[in-house]
Amino acid sequence: MRIRKKDRGITEEIPTATMADVAFLLIIYFMVTSTFAATRGLDFALPKEEDTPPMIEKEESVLIEIQPGGQYVVDGQPMELGDILDYLEPRLERNPLKPVIIRPDPQSSYGYMVDAFDELRQGAERGIEVKNISIPTQREIEAFWN
Amino acid sequence: MNLHVRKRQDAVIPTASMADIALLLIIFFLVTFQIEVDKTQVALPATGIRLEVPEEAAYISITEDGTVRVSTGEEISQIVSMADVHTFASSTVSKYPGRPFVLKADTDTPYRLVDQVIDALKQSQAETIYLLSEQEAMGAGAAAGG
Repeated sequence: MRIRKKDRGITEEIPTATMADVAFLLIIYFMVTSTFAATRGLDFALPKEEDTPPMIEKEESVLIEIQPGGQYVVDGQPMELGDILDYLEPRLERNPLKPVIIRPDPQSSYGYMVDAFDELRQGAERGIEVKNISIPTQREIEAFWN
Repeated sequence: MNLHVRKRQDAVIPTASMADIALLLIIFFLVTFQIEVDKTQVALPATGIRLEVPEEAAYISITEDGTVRVSTGEEISQIVSMADVHTFASSTVSKYPGRPFVLKADTDTPYRLVDQVIDALKQSQAETIYLLSEQEAMGAGAAAGG
């Protein structure tokens, strides 16, 4: 009897081509559904709400007012944003805890307040650290200031 | 003349490694994937200082037209009126003490709206606010400084 020889040309293998298809479909799903979320920002520690907040005399502090058009007025003098730290430097040397108050006009844009706050925070990189930044709200200004 | 018969080989593109690469990409997406609780589209202000916002944080977003959305960080944000922000903040502080609030406001938002939100957070005994921002363009700070 003649036994037919088996064809040894076919090798055993696990088909993996479809695995790549499935994997790429999952990648496309994640790429479409994920968004680049902004997860960084400026931190701002809120003071504890007290019935009698510490009294700060206007003369003791530096007042940064923000006009509706985005102009900065520091202690009554119009000033460029980049000049504020230079103005503060000698005052902070005399009193490192000198309070700096940012008071934006209600009609101004939020971005101007953030610019001023960021500028003051960046002072630490130049050796002009503003330790005491305050942003009173309109209610606080009306209740305790005027 | 005895010519050597060439063995015929099938052309195969090796695809097994493609699945490995795809699975590595999937693992990357799975690890970095975060559910974004607030998908409000706003033009964030640009700052030089940007700190990482904690993963567990409550969100308050304000668009340029004054639409306010809130989320405790556990669910997708929903629209509320400005009058309800104080209630939201108080309940979040009592439910999740110490949880920071992330303020995601459009750079052109009128400051009076932001002021009302900050005031509500202060009255609710919130401890920290993160003012969400984008990375300042290189040299923008110097340009702003004049």
